[in-house]
Amino acid sequence: MKRIPIQGVLLVLLLIFAFAFPRIMQGQPYWLYVALQSFFWAMMAASWALLAGYAGQFSFAHIAFMGIASYTSGILGRDLGWSPISGIILGTLMAGLVGVLVGYLCLRLRRTYLALFTIAFSEIVRLIINAEHEFTGGPMGLYMEPLLETTSYVPTYYIMLVALIVSLAIMYAIANSRLGLFLRSIREDEEAAAAMGVHVVRYKILAFVITSMIAGIAGALDHHIIGFIAPNELMIPRMSLVIAMAVIGGTESLISASLGAIFIHFAMEWLQKIPVPASWMPSLRENTATLQQFGLSLGEGYLQTNAWRMVLFGLMLMLTLRFWRNGLIQPLLEKIGRQGVAEETVAKRKFSQEENEIEGTEA
Amino acid sequence: MDYITGQFLVNLLMNGILIGLIYGLMALGLTLIFSVLGIVSFAHGEFYMIGGYVVYYLLQAFGNLEPMIAILIAGAVTFVIGVIFELLFLQPMGKGDIERPGEYAILLTFGLAFFLQHVMIGIVGPFPTKVDRFYDFAEIDWGWLRMKAATVWFFDMPISSSRLIATGVAVVLTALMIWFMSKTWTGRGLQAVSQDRQAASVVGINPSHMNTLAFGLGTMLAGMSGAALVTVFAWVPWVGMPASSKSFIIIVLGGMGSMPGALLGGLVLGIVESFGAGLYPDPSKALAYKDAFGLLVFALVLLVKPTGFFGRKL
Repeated sequence: MKRIPIQGVLLVLLLIFAFAFPRIMQGQPYWLYVALQSFFWAMMAASWALLAGYAGQFSFAHIAFMGIASYTSGILGRDLGWSPISGIILGTLMAGLVGVLVGYLCLRLRRTYLALFTIAFSEIVRLIINAEHEFTGGPMGLYMEPLLETTSYVPTYYIMLVALIVSLAIMYAIANSRLGLFLRSIREDEEAAAAMGVHVVRYKILAFVITSMIAGIAGALDHHIIGFIAPNELMIPRMSLVIAMAVIGGTESLISASLGAIFIHFAMEWLQKIPVPASWMPSLRENTATLQQFGLSLGEGYLQTNAWRMVLFGLMLMLTLRFWRNGLIQPLLEKIGRQGVAEETVAKRKFSQEENEIEGTEA
Repeated sequence: MDYITGQFLVNLLMNGILIGLIYGLMALGLTLIFSVLGIVSFAHGEFYMIGGYVVYYLLQAFGNLEPMIAILIAGAVTFVIGVIFELLFLQPMGKGDIERPGEYAILLTFGLAFFLQHVMIGIVGPFPTKVDRFYDFAEIDWGWLRMKAATVWFFDMPISSSRLIATGVAVVLTALMIWFMSKTWTGRGLQAVSQDRQAASVVGINPSHMNTLAFGLGTMLAGMSGAALVTVFAWVPWVGMPASSKSFIIIVLGGMGSMPGALLGGLVLGIVESFGAGLYPDPSKALAYKDAFGLLVFALVLLVKPTGFFGRKL
C-alpha cells in the first residue's frame, strides 16, 4: 500500500497559499511588503544552510556577497545607465566571481579559522564600501533604480516568490544529487572524502560559488525593490540574523531553513508592536518612565519592543543550538512526514525496502 | 607630504604602543579562552562593551566612587556573566553531549554576541555615552614633560591623559595576569590544562573547572579593558564589534593560545593601525580605513602562516 506523501500535499498547499497571498492581503500592502522581504531572508538563509549545513563551511561572508552583487548592480545603473535586469545579472556573476576567490583562499582553513577569515573578509568589504564614498555613496548609501515602475507590491511580490522557488529548486536538486553527497562527505571528513575520490578543492569552491550567487541575486533583486542600499546592511548583526533564521529553521534542510526565515521575519514585524488589552493600558501608562528606561515605548493600544525582539531571537538561537540541534521546524516537518508512525518503524521499513531493492538488482 | 617629520613618526609610534598595550590585555583574555577551551569566543567584544557600561553606570550612580574600584567591579560582573554562560552552554561540550562541538561553539558564541548586544541596546538605547576622564593631571612644566588636566606633552608630543591612564591600568592588569598565570597554583593549573588535559587530570586538576575559570577570566579581562577604555572612546552598544575583530587579529597574529603572542600582537596591531591611519595618502579616508589595515594583515597571516608568531602546530 502506498501512503499519501503528506509532505508533498503540505508543500502544494503552502505554494497555493503563497500564490494567493496578495489576494488574501488585499488592501494591506504593508504585510505584502513584509512577505516579499521575508523571501529575501529565506533565500539568504537557505543558501547559507546549503553552504554550512550541507558542505560544512561555516562562512560568515554571506552578507558580503549579497552586498557585492547589490552594489555592483546599483553602481552600474547609476554610472552607466544599465537597466536593473542586466545589473542584477552582472551583480550575481560578480558575487560568483568573488565567491571563487574566497572559496579558493579558504581551501586550507577550517572551522574557527574559516569563520575568522570570512568575518575579516566581510568587514573589509564593508569598510571599503564605507570609505570609497565617491564611488559607492559611502555611509549615506546608494540609491538604486526601482525594479518596476509601479508602486504596487503585487508584481514585486511575485518576482521574489518565483526567485525563491527557483533558487530553492536548484539548491534542492544540488543537495540531492551526487554533488550534494560529495558536499556532505566533505563536511563529515575531508581527508576520507578525498581518499574516496571526491575532488575536494573543486566541490568546496563550487559550494561557495553557488551559494554566493544565490545570496547575490537575492540581494540585488531585493535592493532594487527597496531602491536603496547602505553599508550598514553589511554589518555582522545582519549575518547573525541569517544564521539565527537558518539554525532555528534547521540547517540541514533547505525548506526548513527558508521556512524559519519567513517565520522569523514575520514574527519580527509582528513583535515590533505588541497589541495590549485596553484594560492594561492605564496601569502601563502610569509606568511609562520605567518602561522607557528599559527600552520599551508605549503607543496607543500597543507596546513597542524596539531592540528586545532581537534579544528574543538571540536567545532562541542559543537555546536551539543547545537543545534542538536540528532546528525547530525540521523535526516538526519530519514528524508530519512520518504521520504519527514512530521513528524506528520508519527506519526499519526504509531498511527492508532498501534490502529488497538490492536483492532485486542482484536477481 | 611635508607634515611627515621625524617627530610625527615618533608620535605615531607612541600612540600605537599606548593603544597596543590595551589591545594586548583584551586579546590576552581571548587567547586564554582558546588555549584552555580550544574555542574562539565571538562574543569577546561584547564583554568589553559591557565592562565599559558597568563603569559608566557605577560612576553615574555613585558620583564620587573611586574609578579603579569601578573597573574592578566591571571585571567582577563580566567574570560572573562569563562563568554563567560557560556553565550553561559550554560545559555540555566537554561531556560529549554535543555533536560537532567546534561548529557549535562558533555559532553559540556568535549568538551570545548578538544577544548581549541587543540586551544592551534595549537597556541603554542606541545613543553614544561618554565618561569623563578618571583623573585630572596636575599642572607641571619641566620643559620635556608638560602636563595639563587633559593632555600631557612628552617632548612636545601631545598624548591625551585618559589614554595614558587606560594604558597604565592595562599594564598593571597585564602584569598581574602574568604573575597569576606563572606563580599561582591555579594559574599553572590553567597552563597545564591547556598543554595536556589528560595529564593535568592525572595530577589532580579538574579540567572542566579550569574551563569555567578560563572562560570567566577571559571575559573578565575583556570587561576590564573595556572599563579602562570607556573614557577614551564614545561608548555605544556595538562598540564591541571592532573590539572583537581586533582581538581576533591579535591572537591570530601572535599565534592562537600563546600569551606572549597576544601581547606582542597587540603592540603590532596598535602600531600598524596608527601608522596606517597616519600615513595613508588621502587623509579624508584614513580614519575610515583604520580598521581595514589590521584586517588586511589578519587575512594575510591567516592565509600565509595561520600559526602566527608563537602558535602551536595546527
